[in-house]
Amino acid sequence: MRRVTKIYKGNVYALEDVTLDIEKGEFAFLVGPSGSGKSTFIKLLIKEEEPTSGQIYIADTNIDQLRKWKVPYLRRKIGCVFQDFKLLPHKTVYQNVAYAMEVTGKSRRLAEQQVPEVLKLVGLGHKLDAFPDELSGGEQQRVAIARAFINRPPILLADEPTGNVDPSLADGIVRLLERINQAGTTVIMATHDKAIVNAFRKRVIALENGRIIRDQDRGVYGYE
Amino acid sequence: MNKIAYFASETWASLRKNLILAVAAIAVVAVSLGILGMVVMGWNMFSNMIKNAERKVGEVDIYLSDLTTEEERAAIEAFLVGIPEVDPTKVTYKTKDQALEEFKERFKDQPELWEYIDENPLPNSYELMTKDPKDVGLVVGKINNEAPFRDRIEDVKSASSAIEKLENIFDKFRQIGIVGVIALAVIAVLLVSVTIQVAIFARRREIGIMKLVGATNWFIRWPFVLEGISEGLVGSAVAILVALAVKVWILDKLIDNLQFLRLSLSPGLLAVLFPCMVLGGVVIGALGSAYALGRFLEV
Repeated sequence: MRRVTKIYKGNVYALEDVTLDIEKGEFAFLVGPSGSGKSTFIKLLIKEEEPTSGQIYIADTNIDQLRKWKVPYLRRKIGCVFQDFKLLPHKTVYQNVAYAMEVTGKSRRLAEQQVPEVLKLVGLGHKLDAFPDELSGGEQQRVAIARAFINRPPILLADEPTGNVDPSLADGIVRLLERINQAGTTVIMATHDKAIVNAFRKRVIALENGRIIRDQDRGVYGYE
Repeated sequence: MNKIAYFASETWASLRKNLILAVAAIAVVAVSLGILGMVVMGWNMFSNMIKNAERKVGEVDIYLSDLTTEEERAAIEAFLVGIPEVDPTKVTYKTKDQALEEFKERFKDQPELWEYIDENPLPNSYELMTKDPKDVGLVVGKINNEAPFRDRIEDVKSASSAIEKLENIFDKFRQIGIVGVIALAVIAVLLVSVTIQVAIFARRREIGIMKLVGATNWFIRWPFVLEGISEGLVGSAVAILVALAVKVWILDKLIDNLQFLRLSLSPGLLAVLFPCMVLGGVVIGALGSAYALGRFLEV
């Protein structure tokens, strides 16, 4: 992913004149207080929102010019994890993850092979048949990460993935994302969890009122 | 194969969840298509009756005024025999006395109809047959426009003028029927779209997640389209059953019992009508879901 340039305007300036590059294989924290534009940033990348002006390039493709019917194929290349997990309550852990394969037209047999594998990777190999509400927040988020990762996307976006997770387990979630990153996936994680950012020492992009106020490698959360 | 099973199970689950609404939508589809079927069958039966009647009846009656003189009558007769479409051997003069005798004969079981008549109210008349029954209208027109002593001719009647009146009445019925069918079809489309909207709303969370993991638009839409179409299909099946019942228990009885009317359904009518009704159901269902998807499913 390179040359992400966007100017997002409206009555509310969610993002203003933001220009940045994130290289393939990077792990970046997107930090800032609520309303600083972190979520907008993520929504723009998966084309859930359109920029008012400016361009966004993913893998050298300008996603503004992407035809509408191609958007789903863009999203298959980007795994997403959210604060509220977005799991289907009436499906089991296995079914929730397999769903992402089903929807993209993969065969059932392939799902039967890969889903347990990925769930083992996230440490839930023994809970295939549990329902989401039988799991802790941390476990549910692991399911969500497994679902985001099942199709091996080159990019993984995480919007406050530790927001609804017990602080003692948050560390494990980010460690999981780090492992996914080490396997070659670009990871962008929006968060306002200072302890996590400071502990992992990754690139930190700080947003405030829709502007980038700081961008440093191996950074810390910064100001109080 | 995998996909078809997936769509079918999604459609069935959704239909079951909104059972009441789905039943209402199916009922309206059935009513609109059922009325369509009945209008078509009724119309077909009636127009066959007319055709049969017209084929048989080439008769025209010309009623003369009592003031008509012998010369005038002769001139009129010569004119009638001279019309090329008229069979000259079948032009007969009937005096008012003969007419009254015929009348008495015809209603001899109801003498009260003629017992108290002191003066014969029936006119002298000509009866003629055209060579070809379908020329009746033409002949009537010629008499009306070209006959000599036109003011001595009080009335020109053919079986077809009575048929024409009937035809007008039935035409009105047909028009009302068609307007009704269209109105009901529109309501059916709207109702189907409501059920689809409810289904979309019930699954909005799932739809969001599907979009998130990269489901294509059509992958998301298909179950809803199928739901609409299956409602239309079930509705048309019900309508066909109702139309069949009407045919077997009402129309066939009418045809048997009122044989003098020569009612009949064209053979092969149902083979065209029923597939059209199924098609109508599919179209209603597809339009309903397309409307709902267009308005409520942003993909």
